[in-house]
Amino acid sequence: MSGNQLLSSAFLVTWLAASLRLAGPVLLAALGETFAERGGVLNLGIEGTILLGALASFLVSLFTGMTWIALLVAMSVGIVASVFLAWVYVFVKASQVVTGLVFNVLALGIVSLVYRRAVGDSALPESIAMFHAVHIPVLTSIPVLGPVLFGQTVLLYITLALVALGQFALFRSNFGLSLRACGENPAAADSAGIPVDRIRYVGVLISGATAGMAGGYLVLSQVGLFRESIVSGQGFIALAIVIFGRWTPVKAAGAALVFGACDALQLSLQIFGTRIPSQALLALPYVVTILAISGLFGSRAVQPAALMQPYIKD
Amino acid sequence: MAKLLERRPMPADSPLAVCARTLAAFLLALVITSFLFIAYRANPLQAYFALFHEPFATLRGFGYSLLRASPLALIALGTIVSWRSGLAYLGFEGCFVIGAAAASWLALMTTPGAPLGSLPLLVFWMLAIPFSFAVGGLWAGLVGVIRARLGGNEVLISLMSNYVGIFILEYLVSGPLRAPGSLPETRQLPRGTWLPFIIPGTRAHAGILLAVLAAALVWLLLQRMPLGYELIVTGFNPLAARYAGINVARRLVLAAFFAGGLGALAGTVEVLGAQHRLMEGISGGVGFVGVIVALLARLNPIAAVPVAVLYGGMSVGGDAMQRRADIPSSITFILQSLAVLLVLISDVLRYYRINPSALWSRASEAIREEASE
Repeated sequence: MSGNQLLSSAFLVTWLAASLRLAGPVLLAALGETFAERGGVLNLGIEGTILLGALASFLVSLFTGMTWIALLVAMSVGIVASVFLAWVYVFVKASQVVTGLVFNVLALGIVSLVYRRAVGDSALPESIAMFHAVHIPVLTSIPVLGPVLFGQTVLLYITLALVALGQFALFRSNFGLSLRACGENPAAADSAGIPVDRIRYVGVLISGATAGMAGGYLVLSQVGLFRESIVSGQGFIALAIVIFGRWTPVKAAGAALVFGACDALQLSLQIFGTRIPSQALLALPYVVTILAISGLFGSRAVQPAALMQPYIKD
Repeated sequence: MAKLLERRPMPADSPLAVCARTLAAFLLALVITSFLFIAYRANPLQAYFALFHEPFATLRGFGYSLLRASPLALIALGTIVSWRSGLAYLGFEGCFVIGAAAASWLALMTTPGAPLGSLPLLVFWMLAIPFSFAVGGLWAGLVGVIRARLGGNEVLISLMSNYVGIFILEYLVSGPLRAPGSLPETRQLPRGTWLPFIIPGTRAHAGILLAVLAAALVWLLLQRMPLGYELIVTGFNPLAARYAGINVARRLVLAAFFAGGLGALAGTVEVLGAQHRLMEGISGGVGFVGVIVALLARLNPIAAVPVAVLYGGMSVGGDAMQRRADIPSSITFILQSLAVLLVLISDVLRYYRINPSALWSRASEAIREEASE
């Protein structure tokens, strides 16, 4: 493949559009996880929550054909799952790492059981009802930028709107201030009259809601079918995006785009058949994330100081 | 008004209370899972019998239980060393595949005509085990260095490092080590490098002996050696350890090295004892299940091996149940993870006591209020 081909506008459009498309679901999950972590709770259970949301949205869309209802149900399932998770994190004060990891196994078990029970061996359609790409008359016809930015499904625009809302809520609202206080110094927050446990509950619930929606996003906008391997690590990618985005919604959007771009580039390089191993591109964002949080560049100070520490009132 | 959960004046920490809590958690998990069996029109008692009969009461099944238990036990031991030293390392998926890749590479070098030629079995192991231990140790040791020298968060870094390890594996089996054929996997490893089967007529291999030996060594290290004592003190209270003259940073790196080495050995025994070739997806989540095994064993190295056999055996029993009675094997996932979650949750009863009379008194209070109106 020559350099000209790589830079040709057709390639650029396909690549950038694919980057945005792949970045969407993980960005949504990362956005909620940012809130949980800013409150001091590392919710590793989003991997399982995404899976539950994906199954819920698949089943609803399969049986009713209503995509919006499917998305809503996925979100509700995420919230219900995270009520349980939040109770274990915040009230029981069990190890957050262990709880999250075990919950992922539990979710996988539940999902594969329910899927078999609900669908079994019955014949499935090629694809369920999905969200279609929105073509905005004038904007889509702008060269390069048009098809990239304005040929996506509505879920991407919702995600971007939520990122803006999240940025505002986290840094410009009372709730955001309380949440960050609980994640930095819960004892001080408590003595300032902030209900630490309740605020942390809300943080985890937000992460559950967006994780459930991310599952719905995957199914309703990208895959159109359900497999048990549909999530396979996307929850952990979301975790990496939160860190890479330095616990800030807007920066997380940039981080998600980097991950998506590497993934998309890897896919197109495979098609062109170059000698760069595709795994090197796939591994690159993880290496960058590791370096970003290693403390080499002094970014450690950004991490919420009370992350992973249960708050026990004396 | 009386509360349903009443705070205890003192945490309940007697051995009896701990045992009772854990047992109650397991029983509750069994009861909840029973309802799933009933949903499949199976008698729960028969289902549980089937779940435990095949892996523990038949020779063939027990062989499979030991086969599954070997890597789990080694990863659990790695978890125990690192977590008790205060390093919450979670990169065992990565260590596992790195160790498996190192052992496979060495094994492929010993075919006749390859650089190392045919080696006697003992010489091969004396090379392979330290080699893969060292490779895994260095892999995880890097995370230890980042944590100890730069202060990075080891949980997040080790989680991310898993993916780097897995991509390295995928690169190796789709590129340099790939065998001709359609699947991304290596050739079958030479027979001379396989771990011997230890029970005739089963697939159980010498990996479980290695796990038992490792458990004994880890116990010796942590309970009987000054170095182990220093590791545990570092885990309990790094500041106190520093005042006592312990080089905390060095101990953390060492803990990570041991953890990575043990995780790599898990990959080694899996590839030399069970799979006999390196392929994509060889780890299949075992790096996380091993951590769960360690926690169920309450980070006790002696308990790690039996818990691993129990855990491995249950997945064997689940597969058998699916084959025979068409009950999905995912029920065993649910049973296992519910058990762990409930054991975690049972810690609530350390600080709180359930007050059944509260329900009754609430009801009677409500009646009294109504009567007074």
